[in-house]
Amino acid sequence: MNKQHSDTKKIGIVLSSVPGYSETFFRNKIKGLQNNGMEVTLFVDESQTTSHNLPCELIVAPKFNSGFFLKLKNVCIAAIKCCFVNPKQSLKHYKLDKKDGIAFKQRIKNLIFNQYLLGQDLDWLHFGYGMLATNRENVAEATNTKMAVSFRGFDLYLSPLKHQNCYKILFSKNVEFHVLSEKMKQRLTTYHVSENRIHVITPAIDTSLFESPNRKVETRKTLDILCISRLHWVKGLHYLLEAMSILKKDEINFKLTIIGDGEEKERLIFAAHQYGILDDVVFTGKLTQTEVIQHLKTSNVYIQYSIQEGFGNAVLEAQAMGLPCIVSDADGLQQNVLHNKTGWVVPKRNPIALAKKIIDIHFLDPEKRDAITSAAVKRVNNDFNLNNQNRLFLEFYRN
Amino acid sequence: MNRKLKIAIYSGEIPSTTFIERLIEGLSAKGCEIVLFGILKKKVNYKNNAVNIKGYRLNRINKALYLLYYTLLLTLFKNKEKHQLDQLLKAEGRFSLYDRVKCYPVLWYMPDIFHIQWAKGLNEWVWVKDFGIKLVLSLRGAHINYSPVADKHLAEMYKTYFPEVDAFHAVSKAIAIEAEKYNANPEKVKVVYSGLDLRDFNNSEIEISNRSKTFNVISIGRPHWIKGYAYALDAFKLLKDQEFQFTYTIVGGLNLELKYQMVELGLDNYITVEKHIPFDEVQKLLKASDLLLLSSNEEGVANVVLEAMAFEKLVLTTNCGGMEEVVVDGENGFVVPIRNARAMANKIVEISKLSEDQKKEITSNALRTIQQEHTEELMVNGMFELYQSL
Repeated sequence: MNKQHSDTKKIGIVLSSVPGYSETFFRNKIKGLQNNGMEVTLFVDESQTTSHNLPCELIVAPKFNSGFFLKLKNVCIAAIKCCFVNPKQSLKHYKLDKKDGIAFKQRIKNLIFNQYLLGQDLDWLHFGYGMLATNRENVAEATNTKMAVSFRGFDLYLSPLKHQNCYKILFSKNVEFHVLSEKMKQRLTTYHVSENRIHVITPAIDTSLFESPNRKVETRKTLDILCISRLHWVKGLHYLLEAMSILKKDEINFKLTIIGDGEEKERLIFAAHQYGILDDVVFTGKLTQTEVIQHLKTSNVYIQYSIQEGFGNAVLEAQAMGLPCIVSDADGLQQNVLHNKTGWVVPKRNPIALAKKIIDIHFLDPEKRDAITSAAVKRVNNDFNLNNQNRLFLEFYRN
Repeated sequence: MNRKLKIAIYSGEIPSTTFIERLIEGLSAKGCEIVLFGILKKKVNYKNNAVNIKGYRLNRINKALYLLYYTLLLTLFKNKEKHQLDQLLKAEGRFSLYDRVKCYPVLWYMPDIFHIQWAKGLNEWVWVKDFGIKLVLSLRGAHINYSPVADKHLAEMYKTYFPEVDAFHAVSKAIAIEAEKYNANPEKVKVVYSGLDLRDFNNSEIEISNRSKTFNVISIGRPHWIKGYAYALDAFKLLKDQEFQFTYTIVGGLNLELKYQMVELGLDNYITVEKHIPFDEVQKLLKASDLLLLSSNEEGVANVVLEAMAFEKLVLTTNCGGMEEVVVDGENGFVVPIRNARAMANKIVEISKLSEDQKKEITSNALRTIQQEHTEELMVNGMFELYQSL
């Protein structure tokens, strides 16, 4: 395989599914790389439709979990490829797996499942989430390709709890890691991953879409609080609702709007009901970007009180729109918002502290508040724009 | 009514929950004929042969044969009624094979009373009234307490069909009041508490938990958000910070949320988690603990609290649902507000400081509460009266 390309590099990105509209990060990244002359191929485990409006080549992994005949067919194709199309890579992959102490049955499975990747001629094989690299740790080496893995939050903090030692092999490999925040870098080093293999590239937003409107600097009677979040326990929404119940007891008028959908809807609505604040909370469900921007314009505080958060794109958007932001100290949020400089950081799982901070900010001198939000707008525009992100990814691959 | 009552107890699955199984045994012993419909999960043997199991196994062949059998019987001997039912099902757009698998056997056996255990399925059974069958609905748990709060369609369904129900069985007074929001006629609601067979609770061998300084707390229940374990863990974090010495056993397993919380709060060395252990093992763990904690956000009346009280164990419950109808703070157990980790932590410390005499007084009161209000006999008689009143 000739890997003597000049600046043009072939990059394969592995994801579980085609990035949707909300996963702007991946779409931005693909466009940015292509604009700089790189070839991008996207590998996904499944794809529901054929039209994704993607500017790059898309390869869908063969299915091995559906009906018997389809499975049989795909196994046969993979076996033929293994013997006659990619015999060299397959043998190397098998040997590497064996060296890692993987059981025979799993070695064969890996060989069959990973065939669609073993035939590729790439410079980089980049797994979009940590868990996507499990059982594929040796694909890159077998194909003489560089390997990169992104950690996004959930996969770094929660997956190891769910699947013990899931990254044991991965962390022993020659891999470049991409994480979203310094905190994530710290966490990764606790697994004895060498610091110079960990690259922090924070998320970015399209700053032209999220421009700060001219907000009237005034203390409004009703607090319009906004939170954009999946309805999932990691987002700490039950603590947020508890904080709201404290505001209610303190007779502070507020309206909390939560944009997003998810499995915990029943739990959260019931919590709001029990706290007696159901009339003060609106669960909008998922909204379009235009609708989201409208909410960002009309609210006067943004809160992200997560238990675990890789970085938090929505907080960047809220800051860019000039909204005062209160966040928890979960992982990347502390880097997203600089306490007392571009917003406020409150210890997580502490609804009393959160309620106090909301009240403080509600009554904060408008000029002081304005100084903070202006600093936030400036910082997001300077440090978290797409150009910066694209430049950092180019450096990452050219490294 | 002198004739033997024929009662269908329907929970969707056979066997059902402990409470329902005890009810089935008790009613059959009282001379009622019981018919059980639904999915046959495993073979069950009832002491009394007045219990007729008419369930079906959940595989295609079995379901097909089952449907064929009842279709044939109805066509041959109750064709008019079958036609009427078919028309009703068609009108409601529920004429699938599965709907017929569920409904045909009920029409064939024609019980006097059809008793549904879970309200969410009510709309599927209102048709029985057209055939003179009385409809009884149990008001229990999530189906009444929180699902209709979040699900407006469900709330509307309840409001439409609750007036059709001939009698309601409420597991607590609190849930009876809750059901009134969905048009349940309070005159048709009868509160019948869950009851225990006290012979199962032999207190002579009660193991006194260790007398060291460590206070041992136990919770029993699946790791669902409704159980409020997130607040319990926050409470134990507060206790850990106060250097209060404790152990906490959770029987029922942890989900990812709780596992993450436990590790993040540094509680992993204080907490023991048991997942699937046999009932007698659970009882042993309960006996060896100082306190049973029910941290739930909502409950009807939690059986596990009744059982702990029958074992003369101290209990601490939140004031959710019907719990305060059983536990009176400081008399036969302890009560804290729901969703309040701080109050829970403070109360645990308070309980740990009780003298042995004070503990004894409370646990004796607890046992008396169970003997007076939560025996199987009372439960079965209560339900029997409810059926007879129809």
